[in-house]
Amino acid sequence: MRTADTPTSQNSLSEHCLELTDDFTSGEVNFIKVEDFKFFYGKKQALHGINLEIPSRKVTAFIGPSGCGKSTLLRNFNRMNELIPGVRHEGDISIHGTSIYDPSVEIIALRRRIGMVFQKSNPFPMSIYENIVYPLRIAGQKDRSVLDETVERCLRSAALWDEAKDRLHESALGLSGGQMQRLCIARAVASRPEILLMDEPCSALDPIATAKVEELITELKKDFTIIIVTHNMQQASRVSELTAFFYLGNLVEFDSTHKIFTNPAQKQTEDYITGRFG
Amino acid sequence: MYKEPAKPHTLTNFTTALDQLRSSVLRMSSLAQLNLKNSIKGLMERDDDWCNNCIADDEEIDLLEMQIDHEGIEVMSRFHPFASDLREVISSIKIGANIERVADQAVNIARRARKLNEQPPLTELHLLDNPIRLSLQMFDDAVRAFAERNASLAVELKARDKELDRMNKELADVLVNRMQDDSVNLPTYLNLIFISRCLERIGDHACNVAEDVVFAVNAEDIRHLAK
Repeated sequence: MRTADTPTSQNSLSEHCLELTDDFTSGEVNFIKVEDFKFFYGKKQALHGINLEIPSRKVTAFIGPSGCGKSTLLRNFNRMNELIPGVRHEGDISIHGTSIYDPSVEIIALRRRIGMVFQKSNPFPMSIYENIVYPLRIAGQKDRSVLDETVERCLRSAALWDEAKDRLHESALGLSGGQMQRLCIARAVASRPEILLMDEPCSALDPIATAKVEELITELKKDFTIIIVTHNMQQASRVSELTAFFYLGNLVEFDSTHKIFTNPAQKQTEDYITGRFG
Repeated sequence: MYKEPAKPHTLTNFTTALDQLRSSVLRMSSLAQLNLKNSIKGLMERDDDWCNNCIADDEEIDLLEMQIDHEGIEVMSRFHPFASDLREVISSIKIGANIERVADQAVNIARRARKLNEQPPLTELHLLDNPIRLSLQMFDDAVRAFAERNASLAVELKARDKELDRMNKELADVLVNRMQDDSVNLPTYLNLIFISRCLERIGDHACNVAEDVVFAVNAEDIRHLAK
């Protein structure tokens, strides 16, 4: 069991993950490291001393009631929260051993390493093709063959190629909700990020579209470290290998998804996942 | 150790469905306890009526086993239980299956008892006194452990099962020797050996129930641990 009070040791997490997959050792145990991280919206403290180590190429789910701080932490990984006036933080978040707050880190470069998918799909009002290549164009890529290859690769990895290959130059806004969300995932992986942040990516989708996105998440974890915020407990249990439960800005428990959903160590976690909360 | 039942779910239908499942398991347990006692009465009092009651009432227990499966599946499909709720549902279904087998053993005892009642009484019948007492107590305690969510009581049953196994083996040895000296009553001795075997199996099922109680309460799997 790992809680906010008992930060994960590299060994315990490694042992733990070995149970989950045979090839765990190929990943990095503390790829993302959150150390005594506190976050404030003005005077209101949203996160209280979070300690967390997230391994690479795994799916980690953040669960907890609304307002518990899970999305706030997620948005700190790519420093998106800094767009909000009056925010401040204490503590540190490092990726691959480098603090994201290091003065040498450029925010644009950081965000290129970290793709993000939001609750509501947000395709740009342009063609499917242009949506995908947008991150490459702003990075200065003009080579048509590179752009074409990227479009096909990303649409295939987002399981959207067969549905979209004959309408690449039609408006993305003509896609269904599920297709739009998968397009956003395709766009998010176009710049080959290392990390994919997903903030309730299926909450506006029907069960079939949700299943497609979940299948996609399982495929994408071979190449990306995925962190997903979800209110859907079944979804967290289906797609993630590790689950973190947050409550009132605290990390209550962080452990394997199997452990969290069959025998959580903390009563608050048990009450939340069994629907005895509030 | 007694664990307080968890507080109710936000979704009252969920609590109601789990309570209903639990109540079905308890009802089935009570009927199986009664049937077992009836079969023993039929055996010890040489009264076929008790045996017939036991055999006739087994059908209700079979139906309850199916009802428990149905209710468990309903809870899983409607409410997607996790953690203690999930363990409770899984354990209830497994406990239902074990109780049904205890009731089947009661029927087997009742059938053997009817055959014994057709023969002249033998004093060797009382060799079954201790195995009967122990197996009935084990099953009662297994049911109590489930009702009270008492994992400690459940863990104790494993040791008692070894004692019951030993009794069964000793009794079989004694009766086999008697068969050699008294071949006229050979069918009676065989029936007593079969009944002893039924009692031993009841102890095994009581242990299985206990293991499921420990899993439901403590999330521990104590099956197949080194003896």
